Amino acid sequence: MLDIKVKSKSFNNKEILNNINIDIKDGEFVSLVGPSGCGKTTLLGLISRLDEEFSGEILFNDKRIDFEIGYMFQDSRLLPWLTVRENLLLVLKDKSKEHLVEELLKEVELEEYINAYIKELSGGMQRRIALCRAFINQSEIILLDEPFISLDHPSAQELRAIFMKFYKKYKPTVVLVTHDLTEAISLSNRILFFSSKPTKIVSTYINKKDFSSNLYDEGIDIVKKDILEKNPNILSGDLS
Amino acid sequence: MVVSNKIHSFIILIIIWQAFSVLIHSDTLPTPLEVMYSIHYHIFEDELLYHLGITLYRVAITFAVAMCIGVLFGILMGNYKKIDSNLDFFLIIGLNMPALVTIILCYVWFGLTDFSAILAVVLNKVPTVIVTIREGAKAINVKYMQIAKVYKLSPYTTFTKIYLPQMYPYIMASARTGLSLIWKIVLVVELLGRSSGVGFQLSMFFQFFDITSILAYSFAFISVVLLIENYILAPMEKKATLWRENA
Repeated sequence: MLDIKVKSKSFNNKEILNNINIDIKDGEFVSLVGPSGCGKTTLLGLISRLDEEFSGEILFNDKRIDFEIGYMFQDSRLLPWLTVRENLLLVLKDKSKEHLVEELLKEVELEEYINAYIKELSGGMQRRIALCRAFINQSEIILLDEPFISLDHPSAQELRAIFMKFYKKYKPTVVLVTHDLTEAISLSNRILFFSSKPTKIVSTYINKKDFSSNLYDEGIDIVKKDILEKNPNILSGDLS
Repeated sequence: MVVSNKIHSFIILIIIWQAFSVLIHSDTLPTPLEVMYSIHYHIFEDELLYHLGITLYRVAITFAVAMCIGVLFGILMGNYKKIDSNLDFFLIIGLNMPALVTIILCYVWFGLTDFSAILAVVLNKVPTVIVTIREGAKAINVKYMQIAKVYKLSPYTTFTKIYLPQMYPYIMASARTGLSLIWKIVLVVELLGRSSGVGFQLSMFFQFFDITSILAYSFAFISVVLLIENYILAPMEKKATLWRENA
């Protein structure tokens, strides 16, 4: 259980997060949706310990510090001076499991690029490597900060499919930050809708597990009717 | 192509030099051939290799010490504003202090010893290393450092695999400019207060107005520095920045 309790988080004396309490069950896939600047990425930063200056507590199975995390950023953030293999080995905790590098690369169909430098890969390929890096330690928590953004539609769809394959295989707890409601509905078990000023969770949508097309359309309708109409500031742009 | 251009330039220089020396026909400008004979003489029948060795030893020591101190303080000043603001004043003094003043003061305060000589060169070089490295430290990409934090990499791994590769272009730039600056100052230091080394020999030849030997020593020394530059520093830089070329 990932237990997030943030009493307050400020930047330059300006409060970004206030009284955010979220419990996420093991293996649950939760999406955070809300307007830009409402603190979703900040919250990921707190969970990942990139930012430790806040009042509150984040526990995973009652442990505060020692939990492993896989993180996919908005950009691939691979180290360009290392090869694909070196990038993955760099973060691998158990060095006796080097074979995981090749196995994961095979799963994303990039095994022939194992000794390539990052500049030799396309944007979509880089994201797939970043995905492998997030999963290489088989971490119990995977954090995703708009990982499918700025990819063309087919590449984004392909990456989502690979991600879901890994998710079903390793069953981590996932927290996804996204602006794309259709993405949130199609991927996650639960969606938390944030509003800003002050940042708070204004609504929750529980997804049905079976993602058949009817249920997906139904989900869109429910979110439109019950959530977006009541909270028009949550999302900018159209829901497609 | 680049190598052949360099050879062409060298041949043109020799031709122009030969033409001028024949035209002027003076002891102050010996021909390239005379200088070559002089190099041969000083290598096989005199002490060129000994003095060259001594100078290279001093260059190597001062280069290593100056780079270590410069990189350390450059990183500290680039990362910690408080240290930067406290040391910036001294850095500006160091950058603007004439090399000759430092050399004379070191000899006066610490005597005519190798320690004084090396200290004087180090004091001259360190500020320029610090300035370059400080800029590199300020340009470190925080996003890459976040990878280290998220995946809880050890400080050693973070430094060697994430921090240092980003600093490498700056370290190499200061190393290459450093080498060219250091060997020039070492010669001055030797000329002013040592009884060995290329600088000392040049001062002796100057007293005898032996221009041929001065040029012979200069060319021998420049050749060694070029070899170090081309066969040690340049390949090191190329290897470390290989990832930039493979696009």
